[in-house]
Amino acid sequence: MDRTGSARLWIMRALYVALCLAAVLFALVPLDTAPRGWAGPDLLLALTFAWAVRCPGFVPAPLVAAVFLLADLVFQRPPGLWAALALLASERFRTRAAALLPASFLLEWLEVAIALAVMTILYRFTLGIMAVDQPPPSLSMSQMAATVAVYPLIVGLSALAFGVRKTVQPDMLAPGAR
Amino acid sequence: MAREHSDYRVFAKRVRLLLAAILALCLLGTFALWRVDGERVERLRTQVVDWFVPGFDWALVPVAKFAEFARGFESYQSLLEENRELRRELREMRMLKAEAAAHERQNNMLRKRNNVHPEESRTFVTGQVTADSGSPFRQAVIVNVGARDGVVDGWAVTDGFGLVGRISGVGGETSRVILLTDPSSRLPVIIGSSRERAIAEGNNSSAPVLTFLDSGDAVRPGDQVATSGDGGVFPANLPVGSVERGRAGRLQVRLSADYGRLEFLQILRYRPRERISGAGELVTPFDAEALEGAGGRSAAGEDDGNG
Repeated sequence: MDRTGSARLWIMRALYVALCLAAVLFALVPLDTAPRGWAGPDLLLALTFAWAVRCPGFVPAPLVAAVFLLADLVFQRPPGLWAALALLASERFRTRAAALLPASFLLEWLEVAIALAVMTILYRFTLGIMAVDQPPPSLSMSQMAATVAVYPLIVGLSALAFGVRKTVQPDMLAPGAR
Repeated sequence: MAREHSDYRVFAKRVRLLLAAILALCLLGTFALWRVDGERVERLRTQVVDWFVPGFDWALVPVAKFAEFARGFESYQSLLEENRELRRELREMRMLKAEAAAHERQNNMLRKRNNVHPEESRTFVTGQVTADSGSPFRQAVIVNVGARDGVVDGWAVTDGFGLVGRISGVGGETSRVILLTDPSSRLPVIIGSSRERAIAEGNNSSAPVLTFLDSGDAVRPGDQVATSGDGGVFPANLPVGSVERGRAGRLQVRLSADYGRLEFLQILRYRPRERISGAGELVTPFDAEALEGAGGRSAAGEDDGNG
């Protein structure tokens, strides 16, 4: 049991990285290079949150940090800032996982929305303080809204396709990182 | 036993939080470093992109092709209409082509007659767009040519119709092109026959805004916009687009480049002209003597060296 459990743990971690890479690559495909007034969802973030709430062991902090730093670099964002916020938010969900276990999905969704809003505000605030060029607020808002909207979809897909569900597995809660 | 287990839990949780905190600090440190010493971190970014993007070429290109195919399929429905439209356009183009050839002949003749020294001919490297910036927050694309092909930071990039942007960040096999629509893009331009100078400022929309106009009166919507070559970054007289009046009456540039589908881009080789610095030395009779003296001395020095 223990052995299969740990094998599954590592497989799911690899799967997490693979899904993130796929999301990054999909975003990079030059389908339309004209500027547009709206932004799509941050799939990486939705995926990370959904898995951090359900199976925190699948998304250890170093992995989250590495994936988001890569995304920052490749997407030409200021490197590190969005990654740090994503890491902190996912840690928050990791610690809330036990409390959210019996809670309804609506509550979880609300918490995700709040976390996203706080992250967006902090991100823009920090960029403002550091005098970095900022994207127009409408873009940030639309990305936030899109991520919130796509969250249930990601949760459903994770459950159906990859079996990432809320289950009581104490060994998954304990050695979360490494 | 149970007590031990819960102790272990608490301990593990603390270690986890500590680790996360350290990681977050490292990430924030990266951000701070980027803010302080942007160039070094940007170089790192270029290297990461250079390692990441070509590695996944096999995935990026087919997906892009497939999407294009799907889009093409959509437009089959309006094929007949499109065909008719294209024929009409082709007729128009033929006429324009004949006109252009006549103009060119005349231009050449006039140039010859006036002894105009023509600008050196331009050569270019062609690259394929393999990736875009991945988010609508930045307007940039990655092309599959880099330092290996002799690409240098700052070169102008066109798509054959008009200026697209400028090289910013060169890796071994890839380079990044900042598009004119990016919020950080500023391009010195010259407008139409009025020769009015302005800056085309990218603002994340499809039409960069014209700022720093001397007076907007001489500029009319429809005037041609070209690079002015001010600042010595770009060659002069590359076509950019035409003036149009946007919302709120602002003058902006309607870009000629086909921004919807950037596929093959030409990167123009460009060596900035020699700078003429200083006001030039006037040779007064007084100086002429000194000059002669200097010439004599240097000649003498040479002699010394030989002897």
